[in-house]
Amino acid sequence: MITFDNVVKRYPASHEALSNISFTIEQGEMVYVTGHSGAGKSTLLKLIAAIERPTSGTVLINNQNVSKLKESTLPFIRRKFGLVFQDHKLLYDRNCYHNVALPLAINGITGAEAGKRIRAALDKVGLLSKEKAMPITLSGGEQQRLAIARAVVSRPSILVADEPTGNLDKNYAEDILALFNAFQQVGVTVIIATHDALGTVNQNNKVMHLSQGKLMNVETIV
Amino acid sequence: MNLWLTQHVQACKQVLARFSGNALSTLLIALAIGVTLALPVVLYTVLDSLNGLVSDVKKDSHISVFLKKDIGEAATNSIRDALDQNASIKSVLFVPKDEALQQLAATNANEDIINSLEENPLPDAFFIEPKSLDAVAVDRLKYELSQLDGVEQVIVDGAWIKRLNYLLSLGKKAMLVLAVLLGLALFAVIGNTIRMQILTQRAEIEVSQLIGATKGFIRRPFLYSGALYGLFGGLLALIIACGVIYAFNQSLVALAAEYQSNFTLNFPNLTTTAATCLLAIGVGLISAYLAVSKLLFKSFN
Repeated sequence: MITFDNVVKRYPASHEALSNISFTIEQGEMVYVTGHSGAGKSTLLKLIAAIERPTSGTVLINNQNVSKLKESTLPFIRRKFGLVFQDHKLLYDRNCYHNVALPLAINGITGAEAGKRIRAALDKVGLLSKEKAMPITLSGGEQQRLAIARAVVSRPSILVADEPTGNLDKNYAEDILALFNAFQQVGVTVIIATHDALGTVNQNNKVMHLSQGKLMNVETIV
Repeated sequence: MNLWLTQHVQACKQVLARFSGNALSTLLIALAIGVTLALPVVLYTVLDSLNGLVSDVKKDSHISVFLKKDIGEAATNSIRDALDQNASIKSVLFVPKDEALQQLAATNANEDIINSLEENPLPDAFFIEPKSLDAVAVDRLKYELSQLDGVEQVIVDGAWIKRLNYLLSLGKKAMLVLAVLLGLALFAVIGNTIRMQILTQRAEIEVSQLIGATKGFIRRPFLYSGALYGLFGGLLALIIACGVIYAFNQSLVALAAEYQSNFTLNFPNLTTTAATCLLAIGVGLISAYLAVSKLLFKSFN
């Protein structure tokens, strides 16, 4: 469960990126964060994933207050999340297999157990045959799916994706969203920031609309 | 296998893989470290060997006490008693003047001269081996002896040893200064290398931090890099030093033979080897730690 209470995020020498945000996301929910670029979607996701801390207000992740935690414990909070970044952040000096291996290495999982999980993750996103390929040789959609494989390989309970369909054409985008829906079906909380998701939103999905750092409305599609 | 050990094995493997992937540049860096370290190691072994030579020579050094010529037997005996009771004297050898003259005559060449002498020009003498060879102690003993009644002159053999000792201690200081300066150079070399590595792995570090890597996880491979650079450099330094000493010894044997000595330079012993490697590893670790701490973690949080 993720709870925001009156969260403000202000960057040095800048306006408020987020002001007075309050909401709750339950385990297993599918949440779309919408809004124009610059509305604060990425900042919100960074606060959710404990990558940044709020200037004021409370961020609770599974009842742990992120702002009160010691900095040295933040990495362990971050491991609860699978992150898909806006710019993929794939590592171009290693093949697909080793890209997906990174989160497992951070969790201290290596060897045969890691191999099984990496192949399972690659299989889930349909890239098992490209295990040895370098990311640069993949298409945009494949790179995005590789990023998703890396995000889910350590079996996080929350999946956070920033504009996962941003640069993709319609067919690829639908593939990717179907993938996220599949993860939500098995109980993973999925939080997706997007500027054009409304066409694809399913039943019981939650949509949070941001505008200029303010949470305009939260609606659940019925 | 527990997590802690797994992580260390993982980091170590990663670093070794990276080293073997860039074998040439790793070798060049290790060589730079090795050459830097070789200089103080060679200097140290040279000084150490000279030190051994000096303590070898010192064993023969003694104090000669010449008595006044007209001294009576009673006075000689009282001096002998004084010497026997002196706590800082190890052994005393008394050579009466007649015996000394015989010894001198025995070295044939002087026979004519000695025969032409009207009286024995030589004094009675004590030859003393002091307990301590320390310069201050010897000086004090010399003073004490010269104060004894009936003593004409006290001569300490081997003033040149004293000078050599001073030179050696000067050499040791020079080596220390050199070692410290080159140690600083090592810091720069290893620190800079690690900094370059961090820059080339910027993307990996950033992603790792975002998805929950601890600082230790990110720092660990770089610490291993630093330590291994130090170790490789240290071993290379020892190899270089051994080569230099071997080459020196080739020429030294001939030179030493001219002085009826079998002096050669010692090769680095176990202590020197261990100390060199440990110091190099230490410098590598510290400079890697500083480089990582300075470059990482600044932009984040």
